[in-house]
Amino acid sequence: MRWVLGAVGVVLLGRGVVELLPVVADSPLSLGGWLLGGPVLHDVLLAPLVGLGGTVLARVLPAPWRAPVGAGLVVSGVLVLLAVPYLWRAFSGPVTPGLHDRPYPAGLLVALTVVWTAVVVAGLARSRNTRPRRDG
Amino acid sequence: MRFRPPGEADFTSPAHGARVSARIGLWLGVAFGLCFATGLISHGIQHPPAWFTWPSRPVGLYRITQGVHVTSGVAAVPLLLAKLWSVYPKLFGRPLVRSVPHALERGSILVLIGASFFELLTGVFNVAQNYPWAFFFPTAHHAVAWIAAGALLVHVAVKLPVIRAALTRADHEEPATGVLSRRGFLLTTGAATGAAVLATVGGTVPWLRTASVLASRSATGVPVNRLASAAGVVAADSSWRLRVGDVEFSLDELRAMPQTTADLPIACVEGWSADATWTGVPVRDLLARAGLPAGSDLRVESLEGGGPYRSSTLPGTHSADPLTLLALRMNGEELTLDHGFPCRLIAPSRPGVLQTKWVSRLEVR
Repeated sequence: MRWVLGAVGVVLLGRGVVELLPVVADSPLSLGGWLLGGPVLHDVLLAPLVGLGGTVLARVLPAPWRAPVGAGLVVSGVLVLLAVPYLWRAFSGPVTPGLHDRPYPAGLLVALTVVWTAVVVAGLARSRNTRPRRDG
Repeated sequence: MRFRPPGEADFTSPAHGARVSARIGLWLGVAFGLCFATGLISHGIQHPPAWFTWPSRPVGLYRITQGVHVTSGVAAVPLLLAKLWSVYPKLFGRPLVRSVPHALERGSILVLIGASFFELLTGVFNVAQNYPWAFFFPTAHHAVAWIAAGALLVHVAVKLPVIRAALTRADHEEPATGVLSRRGFLLTTGAATGAAVLATVGGTVPWLRTASVLASRSATGVPVNRLASAAGVVAADSSWRLRVGDVEFSLDELRAMPQTTADLPIACVEGWSADATWTGVPVRDLLARAGLPAGSDLRVESLEGGGPYRSSTLPGTHSADPLTLLALRMNGEELTLDHGFPCRLIAPSRPGVLQTKWVSRLEVR
């Protein structure tokens, strides 16, 4: 079963490589950059930042606030990431009626406001729940 | 204090480890599976091999498959990041390479991660029609999809015992040593995935249009993907004729023929879709008038001078469908030039890029 799965995987992978060869010949640098850019940026930049941020937050924040703020940062980060293609449009075609014509910066701000309102509500609720136990 | 690079054991958070990564991996596998299957469908419709057919009903079928394609891809963004965080300590495992199989495994994981990021990033940029690269997007996105799928199967084959053990072992919660507990990390991943989907899916789900602040389309009517000015098309005058086989029709003759009105979505390969009410002449009536066989595969040509989308192929399944129209009107008004005046093709369950505008000619292939 595992060998069959692995063998099928190798065949599919090979098919993709063969199909990609003309692109490799055509624009090797651009393609290579986009293929390696994800893992490299993730491993040397994004993941260390997350680790460092988590370590600092765990030391600085009171316990009830850690999870809400951590979750809020993760959700915010994903939303900002998804907004990048709309906010940085140096390589995009013209905006046409009805397409890519939303107020993206304002929309992102609204979404982040909703997220951080939820963070504050969750943080306050958790603080209130933990306080009596600590006092008693 | 002397700096040293972290080791695998320095990552003490319960967000790392097989129990988290197997669960998130399962969700990510579902997202990738849906994305791959619907992507192949869309590719098949646009570049059909001889054995491939695609039904013209239900009319919204392509809208659904392509909506699933883009939405599952968006959902995979937070899932991939969470998956990688759950296994990040492995990157610092030493020795770097233990054996030949171990080296192959690490290599295959680099291929898998590179291909996965490539697919998600280029896909998300393509939805915004933003192209910060030098290659042709459809070719590269399609080829790397096969690489990602293959590398994923290899990865699952290698890890199957670990996955099975992690998913079947009784789950007991460990306290958070950092910001999030294991449960908290899984819930956060779910919340981020939900937020990503909610922020974008309104491009195709009408009642979420306002909520989806990062959707590709707005609420301003039926979107125009390609302006007449960008296509180099100017408004046709009274000398314009539609040529079907050897027969010519003037615009007035088309208007005088029996008209069909149908509600059909226009569904873009980039995942957005829009409902509209179209009025025009069924293509099969035009074929009958021109004495051409019903259900023929047709070549639909545009007034557009050049470019990859100046003509399209309309398969027999669609040319025989009574709802496949050469539309003259949209939502009760004559087509504007940007929507394809004097007439455009609109067929059920077909990618928007193949709904050729400014049609000048239909011929049997």
